Amino acid sequence: MPDLLPFLISGLGVGAVYALSGVGLVVLYRSSGVLNFAFGALGAVAAYVAWSALDHDWPLALAALAAVVTSVAISLTYGRLLAPRLAERESTVRSIGTLGLALVVLGFTEWFWGEQPRRLVLPTDAGAIEFADVRLTYTRVLGLAAAVSMMAAVGLLLARTRIGLAMRALADQRALSSILGIRVLQVDTAAWVISGAFAGVCGLLLANIVRLQATVLTFLVIPAFAAAIIGRLSSLPVTVAAGLIIGMLEAVAVLVPGLAPFRSATPFVIALLAIVLWRDASRKA
Amino acid sequence: MKITLQRIVAAAALLASGAAMAQAKPVCGLNNGKAASGEPIALGAVVGKTGPDDFSASALASQAYFKCVNANGGINGRPVELTIVDDQWNPEVAAQAAAKLVKDRKVLAMVGSSSFVECGVNAKLYAQEDVMVIAGVGVPRECFFAKNYVPVNAGPRVSATVVAMYAAQAYKAKKMVCVIPNIPSLGNWACDGAKDWGKANGVDVDVLAIDPGSPDATSTMLQAAAKKPDAIILNVPKGIMVPMLAAAEQQGLAKKIHFVSSTPAYNFDVPKAIGAAWNGNFDIHLEFMPVESAGADNLNWKATMEAFGSKSDPRDSFAQAGYLAARIVTEALLKMDPKKIDRASVSAALRNVKGFKSDILCRQFYVGDGARHNANSSGPISQVSGNGFKQVSNGCLMAADPELSDLREQEKKFGL
Repeated sequence: MPDLLPFLISGLGVGAVYALSGVGLVVLYRSSGVLNFAFGALGAVAAYVAWSALDHDWPLALAALAAVVTSVAISLTYGRLLAPRLAERESTVRSIGTLGLALVVLGFTEWFWGEQPRRLVLPTDAGAIEFADVRLTYTRVLGLAAAVSMMAAVGLLLARTRIGLAMRALADQRALSSILGIRVLQVDTAAWVISGAFAGVCGLLLANIVRLQATVLTFLVIPAFAAAIIGRLSSLPVTVAAGLIIGMLEAVAVLVPGLAPFRSATPFVIALLAIVLWRDASRKA
Repeated sequence: MKITLQRIVAAAALLASGAAMAQAKPVCGLNNGKAASGEPIALGAVVGKTGPDDFSASALASQAYFKCVNANGGINGRPVELTIVDDQWNPEVAAQAAAKLVKDRKVLAMVGSSSFVECGVNAKLYAQEDVMVIAGVGVPRECFFAKNYVPVNAGPRVSATVVAMYAAQAYKAKKMVCVIPNIPSLGNWACDGAKDWGKANGVDVDVLAIDPGSPDATSTMLQAAAKKPDAIILNVPKGIMVPMLAAAEQQGLAKKIHFVSSTPAYNFDVPKAIGAAWNGNFDIHLEFMPVESAGADNLNWKATMEAFGSKSDPRDSFAQAGYLAARIVTEALLKMDPKKIDRASVSAALRNVKGFKSDILCRQFYVGDGARHNANSSGPISQVSGNGFKQVSNGCLMAADPELSDLREQEKKFGL
């Protein structure tokens, strides 16, 4: 029986970013009813911007800021210019709209930066906590801390603040909320800004922990979807837990003979099982 | 007789001009400075341009060489027309591309092709239509197991075998893990050469097939390290290799285990991407001599690219392969009567190629009429050094892969 612990710890780092991405997806879904397929693509473009800035010897803080500003700007542009045109359509159509954005952003990123191999190095990579013969770099610890703290912050925002209440109202009944005096554009702006910022931060972390490659980062939204689906697109703590578990199970799958060469299927298998096991709850979501 | 004399003069010029050639005019074909104006000779190439990676560099280099040939007397007066078709890494498109070239355009041979998907799809068509393919770069197994497909490169299996042999020689490695992506037609085959060589030489080589789509490189590296190897052979594309080396560095493995790689790591963006931890600490097998080598033919390749290629055409090992493929075909065609050039005679002439020399290759190249082709089965080892590479092997190493025994027999017959 191989020692599972090193792999569980190794998976925790990737799982943390799945969790953080899952929170980013749930926050937009709960505030605007849109499942953001462009989340990964926005993260990818942000990561490439950071890489270019660092390559031009910008300080890390400025590079990270440029990255997040880029993803927020794209997210906001889409949220203000295109998303309102689909606002009256059902949730599926609004979500599929973001798939178009994802493909455009992915195409641009691949065209602009090409396929040249790159690596996004962060100063937090240098230090690590050693546990069960595995070095959990501070970047991974940062991802873990960010997932938990963002879960709490977004939970509070949605549950306890006026704008959070407005977001939830808008997601449920857009027209009615507007009649009741909720400033639709203002709330939409906040939701897309938060989602864009999440995408930017996740992109930076994933590009470091996983790899700086546009296609890979764009489609890493899928394991995050799996986490969000397990959280029924509403529960932030369940989404975070699911993200962590998916990351850890995917890492442990490397030890299963026959399954190891196909372990990227782990998030889909878990999401499918979750849908089957909690069918009623999922339907509600 | 006159033609033969011209060829000898051209070859002598090629060999004699040495280092000065980088700045000099390229030497190609008849090298007489007269533009060819006769009936064109149609050749084709299938490349994977659009898709996961751009493999078009080899055909672009072939095209540059043929432009040079056409400007220098052509094939005894006849110009070469090379049509390059992109298969988009799509087997269906690859089949259409080959059909278009072979059946519609009626090309006499294929030159400089480099595609991940076309060998499996088109090998049968090429055999049925008796079209020889002097390809630039072949990657999947099918490229090295087809009667009419002749890659100029060595391929991933030979590459991993040679680098494993080097790790045993240089680092006394007795236990190794060969990491290979679980891709159809590549999979374990590309690492089994190292494994089979290991069995015969008292070296234990484990094969670790990985999911190329998995984002988690750390677990892969931990799993490889858990087998306590002296060396880890990475036989993966550079896009997957960079995060694996990053994960290995983060886990402190770079100092404990020797990391070596097959040719994909030989890319001038790689040293910068992987960082200082791998400086002088990462060895790579090259399927050709280094692109910076000062051999006369290597310099002629660069001069050809300068004079007849586009500025954006890559000057990498794919381009070296395409240049060599074009040279092999040109030399074979020049030996033929220009009035009696058809597909059957071209295929026969190409099968007759043996003893082709270039300082870009470690050994003489041959085609022959065997059921399969893998004439390039050796190469030097380079090491990451600063933002580039330096050769660390003393000359070339030849793959001692038992699977190559049929080809070794053939080589003996050719006196190679």
